[in-house]
Amino acid sequence: MDVSQYLEIFLDETKEHLQNLNTRILELESDPENADTINEIFRAAHSLKGMAGTMGYKRMQNLTHDMENVFSEVRNGTIRVMPEMIDVLFQCLDALEEYTENIQASADEGTNDNEALIRQLNDILNGGAASQSQEQAPAKTEEAASQPAPSGGNKWDSIRLDSSQIAVIQEARNQGKKVYGVNVMVQESCILKAARAFLVFKAVEEVGEIIVSDPSAQDVEDEKFDRDFTLIVLSDAELETVLHAAESVSEIEKATGAPLVLENNTSAETEEAPESIKTEKPAEQSAPETEKAAPAPAVPVQAAKPDGRKPAVSKPVVNRTVRVDIEKLDALMNLVSELIIAKNSLVSASSQEQTGGSNSSFNEQIEYLESVTTNLHESVMKVRMVPIESVVNKFPRMIRDLSKKLDKKMELYMTGEETELDRTVVDEIGDPLMHLLRNSADHGLESAEVRAQRGKPAVGSIFLDAYQDGNNVVIEVRDDGNGIDVEAVREKAIERGTITPEQAANMTDKDIIDLLFLPSFSTAKKVTDVSGRGVGLDVVKSKIESLSGEVEVKSKLGEGSTWTIRLPLTLAIIQALMVVVGDEKYAISLGSIQTLEDIPPSEIKLVQNKEVIHLRGNVIPLIRLNQVLDVESKRSEDENLIVVIVKKGDKTAGLVIDELIGQQEIVIKSLGKYVKQCKFISGATILGDGEIALILDANALI
Amino acid sequence: MELSTKFGSQVPDDENKRSSETMQYIVIRLGEEQYGIDIRNIETITRMQHVTRVPKMPAYLKGVINLRGVVIPVLSMRLRMNLEADEITKSTRILVLNLEQEGNVGFIVDEVKEVVSLNVDDIEKIAENNKEGKASLINAVGKHNGELISLVDLNAISLEG
Repeated sequence: MDVSQYLEIFLDETKEHLQNLNTRILELESDPENADTINEIFRAAHSLKGMAGTMGYKRMQNLTHDMENVFSEVRNGTIRVMPEMIDVLFQCLDALEEYTENIQASADEGTNDNEALIRQLNDILNGGAASQSQEQAPAKTEEAASQPAPSGGNKWDSIRLDSSQIAVIQEARNQGKKVYGVNVMVQESCILKAARAFLVFKAVEEVGEIIVSDPSAQDVEDEKFDRDFTLIVLSDAELETVLHAAESVSEIEKATGAPLVLENNTSAETEEAPESIKTEKPAEQSAPETEKAAPAPAVPVQAAKPDGRKPAVSKPVVNRTVRVDIEKLDALMNLVSELIIAKNSLVSASSQEQTGGSNSSFNEQIEYLESVTTNLHESVMKVRMVPIESVVNKFPRMIRDLSKKLDKKMELYMTGEETELDRTVVDEIGDPLMHLLRNSADHGLESAEVRAQRGKPAVGSIFLDAYQDGNNVVIEVRDDGNGIDVEAVREKAIERGTITPEQAANMTDKDIIDLLFLPSFSTAKKVTDVSGRGVGLDVVKSKIESLSGEVEVKSKLGEGSTWTIRLPLTLAIIQALMVVVGDEKYAISLGSIQTLEDIPPSEIKLVQNKEVIHLRGNVIPLIRLNQVLDVESKRSEDENLIVVIVKKGDKTAGLVIDELIGQQEIVIKSLGKYVKQCKFISGATILGDGEIALILDANALI
Repeated sequence: MELSTKFGSQVPDDENKRSSETMQYIVIRLGEEQYGIDIRNIETITRMQHVTRVPKMPAYLKGVINLRGVVIPVLSMRLRMNLEADEITKSTRILVLNLEQEGNVGFIVDEVKEVVSLNVDDIEKIAENNKEGKASLINAVGKHNGELISLVDLNAISLEG
């Protein structure tokens, strides 16, 4: 059988387990005695091992196996958690990540055996004088599993065997093979039962031959079974080996089995084997969750654990989720978009009709349709939302590593990990955030001596806060470090020729700080491999802007800096103001619009040869859109101007348009890379009549 | 234009190996000349419709249209070939090609005439020493019923000149 179709599940789960391990080991470092953490680590490591083994990734399996041994000893209390051990474990995780990446790239784990790491792990084991109990543990497993287990009333006894199958069994017996009945119970929380069952089939087939399955293999593959299925297996191996193979698959609650009693019975008797005669229980490897390899009866930890028959109690409640291919969601989203376009065209058709004679029931239906499409749109958007947790989870580990590397003491405080963003945004936001955090750690936080001089606590703090603010999500990266030295930036900019000394004198501190976002601008005095190669902040900025977001920085010298990233909640559908310039229609995102003004031409003043207007005490520069867009304005010179006041950060500008159409919900379509060069066009939308209107990016115009 | 030399010989080379085969081309008209475009690259042909202009674009890029809910760019084949600007008539069509790099791109042509099958032996590759002007967009000439049809190199046509 081919496992490649389960590669994706394997990769997804491996990544989850690795992330989980990363987080838990960090916890372990700060709280080495926490039994729950240790158990969780053990479980995750064990699942990893099982999965890697099933998929045939031997190197990965070996490494996780040795890690598992270490965890097992920690759990038994024979080894204490030491800082060096944590370091080794983290290196192991990195090695596992490397395997995973290799597998993702080429379906092959690579050839790195990581022998050094395995040796280190074994050193830890031996150092902890654990070798003795190490041997004990498997021995016990064996003992438990190989208890004689006569059958009676077991599921496999009720399987009807036809004569040819019995012949096969007899034949196998004659060849000295053993015949077992095996019942495999899948965890209740398991989503992909069929996939699990398949993996069990595969695992069992490695040690023996499955001759009968109930329900049939086809039904099992089609997920036509409840929570358990029964196999009759021919094997040279011991029963325990077979059961172990089945249980090595994750999300398998337990596998029970016994040698099949057929020898002295005819097939008819087998069929009739009465359910009521349950003399002895079958051998049972207790396997709460997926953890089981080293039962440690004498350890207090065990006492806290729930009985093996009640799985999923010790595990944090997991949301019931379905993995959906993002392309399917995109398709759904596109359909919703089409629906909204169709609705818009109905609305425009009805408003034209209305001049003739109104039809109230028609209007009611349209309003109803409008509310349905709006709700549908919201639901689809919500489906696409994922918490940023999946991205920010890796940061504590990163900060820990940075702390060691840079030899600075620092702590990362995160809030709002549960804040949700569109999946596409979450996927993209990781790198910019990582860069800002590295920046804070490297440039922001001062060295220990400086901090002491300034009377700051020895441990530097970096904060990562995420929260929702209206239609935006704000992510702030804050540190209590040095802040940005504006004068240093100013000098650097002059020295580099980015600005002239005269320009520099006229620029505000904020303008200077914005220079940092220019390509190839780094003020770091020495280049480290953490940051400071001059590729960074400009990449951060362009990445955020490509997501229709903005990034801002506030800084106070000596006190620290705050980087604020502001991202729109949704990308695909926005509220926009439709306007006419010349004879072309354009959309302007409502998010950036402040007010609409009617301005007589006499109020236009010239400042530095540029047109401005005074509005409630503010001087606002005018941008004539017909000039920007190269079209003839339809309005005469002496008519009042229609001005759309747009805002970006604390800058405002007035966009002069010819005509207003009104507010509309629009679906953003990409223009494709062919027409990407135009900076102030951020996309296009299809209007109700099928025509295209371009979307003006007010931020790029200001 | 450099790219045309790189990709230019692909189609004929490929076909020479199986000389008994025929290739199908859509024949279009630009002014007096006829051009053939490999039928495998054609997504659809639509009547001329309103093209939304995109500011600050080169002249040959006429704008964008809505093709079944997808926004696609539309180019003027005439301007791309350094011919005079289009004159929109009843027979003007937008030929939508599916290009490997850019996805769907529309081309405005004067007329779409017919589909012809050319025997591979009737397709003659053009030497590639002429590196400028429209010639670089043509990589072969096909003979059909005594007429010559210039075969357009699709790899060159969409790229910036």
